[in-house]
Amino acid sequence: MNETETLTEVTKSSALLDLALALGGFALFSLLVVAVAYVVMRVLFLAIPAPAVVRFLSWRYLIHRPTNLIGVVGIFLGVGALIMILSIMTGFLEQTRTSMRGSLSDMILLLPGTEAPRRPYDAQKILEVVRADPRVEAASAHLSWPCFLTREGGNSLLMLSDPQRSRHAFVQLAGIDVEDEKTSTEFHASLVRPPTYGESVADPTAPFAPPPEYDSSMGIPRASVILGDQLFAAHRLRRGDFVTLIIPVRDPQSEYGFAAKEREFVVAGSFRSSENEMDLERIYVERGQLARFMAGANEEDELPRGAMNVSQVLIKLRNYETDRDATQLELYDALKDKRLIDSSCQLATWEEFRGPLLGAIENERVLLGIMLSLVLLVACFTVFAILSMMVSEKRRDIGILTALGATPRLSLMVFLAIGFWDALIGAFLGACTGVVLALKIDGIERWLSAALDVQIFNRNVYIFDTIPSVVEPLAVGAIVLGAFLCTLLFAAIPAWRAARLDPVEALRNE
Amino acid sequence: MSLQPIVLRASAVKKAYRIARRALPILHGCDLELARGERLALMGPSGAGKSTFLHVLGLLDRPDSGHVEINGADAWSMGVDGRARLRNASLGFVFQFYHLVAELTAVENVLLPSLIGLNTFEFDRRRKELDGRATELLVRFGLKERLKHRPTQLSGGERQRVALARALFHDPPILIADEPTGNLDRETGEKVLELLFEEQARRQLSLLLVTHDERLAERCERVARMDAGRIQNGLRA
Repeated sequence: MNETETLTEVTKSSALLDLALALGGFALFSLLVVAVAYVVMRVLFLAIPAPAVVRFLSWRYLIHRPTNLIGVVGIFLGVGALIMILSIMTGFLEQTRTSMRGSLSDMILLLPGTEAPRRPYDAQKILEVVRADPRVEAASAHLSWPCFLTREGGNSLLMLSDPQRSRHAFVQLAGIDVEDEKTSTEFHASLVRPPTYGESVADPTAPFAPPPEYDSSMGIPRASVILGDQLFAAHRLRRGDFVTLIIPVRDPQSEYGFAAKEREFVVAGSFRSSENEMDLERIYVERGQLARFMAGANEEDELPRGAMNVSQVLIKLRNYETDRDATQLELYDALKDKRLIDSSCQLATWEEFRGPLLGAIENERVLLGIMLSLVLLVACFTVFAILSMMVSEKRRDIGILTALGATPRLSLMVFLAIGFWDALIGAFLGACTGVVLALKIDGIERWLSAALDVQIFNRNVYIFDTIPSVVEPLAVGAIVLGAFLCTLLFAAIPAWRAARLDPVEALRNE
Repeated sequence: MSLQPIVLRASAVKKAYRIARRALPILHGCDLELARGERLALMGPSGAGKSTFLHVLGLLDRPDSGHVEINGADAWSMGVDGRARLRNASLGFVFQFYHLVAELTAVENVLLPSLIGLNTFEFDRRRKELDGRATELLVRFGLKERLKHRPTQLSGGERQRVALARALFHDPPILIADEPTGNLDRETGEKVLELLFEEQARRQLSLLLVTHDERLAERCERVARMDAGRIQNGLRA
């Protein structure tokens, strides 16, 4: 057996040990829940003036009839799964919102490409008007442009022919002003966040400064770029490497109306945002440098007059929730009145901008909630079926109790109490397990993936590098209460049947 | 004996069952009196209506007409709760097939009348005393080694002794026994009967014993006979 096989064996036995420990822990936890339920029962029945037989006999029926466990397990699974899945979906939604908001700021002014000879948008004046609004906290101008990324000695053609990897070649260039970007988006946070695969920039306060690895003795001053963490890794880059960016630019002389321009840039480092897609598809460059590149000017030249230098303005509000609607309307009118924008421009909130994706996730959350509620409903039906069976089995006991002085109401309470214990234990155990699983889902997934040697959650497919999960106490409470009431409702039907049994018939049942 | 007050009185009790829209009369106006401390045997062939009459007297089956008085109170004019309380406090039942609750131990089965009659708080408060009384009763019935056994772990005779202890636990003034030895062999049945009569005499209980056994009936002070829904010698002379 070689070293690798030995290591695999050790990993497997360690995973099995972990699994055994987890199952043992769960069994202990279940016992604890049953003990808690028993204490709850004792306290509860001291408060309710119910005959002692209700507590006594219902509990005894519950623990002496293993079939009751099926109902408990059903409720446990339903509640646990519902809480876990809804928490994950809420986490997805929250994380998506946070990431999108982080990279987009609160509002986005979209300035569509200008056609010559129309004059370009004046970024400076637009920013002045926007910043003059007291509701605006910060604003920054963006120049976004598509580009094709390649590197010296790289395998760009190979990448183009590979549908999986071609996405690493076609990327988005984001021209930004560092100081403005820091105040209006999560740019700075993405620079200082420890990279997963890449290399951080040498100095986050001056991210586009040439990296120490850059050999300036070559004599050509080059502009720097900062690549997304995963894009950086996909091209196997190091800080100080050169990359060639190829962009389409308008060219009236060309047959198709555009031509390609290329330029070499120095890699200053990588950034890691909380959005996987950004890390795969975005390259930051100084806005002025991108504008010069697009206009065909050298790095150290003045920007030619009339050159396009802005395509979006990102706006951060002091209080998004309260000022959103008024600012959106008034700011747009103010910019239009000053003739800084035209009617082809659009001022959208980040939610409007990413509306379809947010709506899709919200829809999925609702649909999953409905589907898992059906699981819970099935569990309630199980309780109903088990209790119905039990009432039939216990006809004689109902007759005995009646002969000894029980009222029909008491018979009802005994069987309703069994449903109550099913609901209490199942819902409580399910809630605890669901919450723990929801909080630890990322670690559990990683552990399970390692133990089973299967990738359960593909982080390259999703837009996050961890499985997000947000446990909402109100939602957990609503699920537990819903499961509880639903179970009681379903238990009430057989319990009512028990109350209507003729004791004489029941006693004859020998 | 004749000076003893009547604890159970049935007057003109009629009962019919409806089968396929036709009324099948079972009881044709039955009268019965049971005095305090009296042993009354109720005999009759199968289908005579003994069980139906017993269920009416035991407040389990409502008669079509007539009255059942327990300690002077008209039981069937009471509400459901009142009747249940009366059953719990004044009547003890011993059935032919024991009718013990399988999930409970011998002691717990004996405690059932208290479990039904008391609320949780009261039961918990008196638990020690009640446990002690139930244990004492079972020990007296020779079940010292069977206190924590469940019905399935007991023999027929032991089960019937537990059932008898349960019927007596609440000290009811009236004991209704429906063929208590019908499911036991002669020797075991004899032992159970000895116990039954001994407790009846000691507690001055009014015993209504339904039986097919003439020899057993002879051991009662009075024998009422039932035939085709009619009763003879139900009233005291």
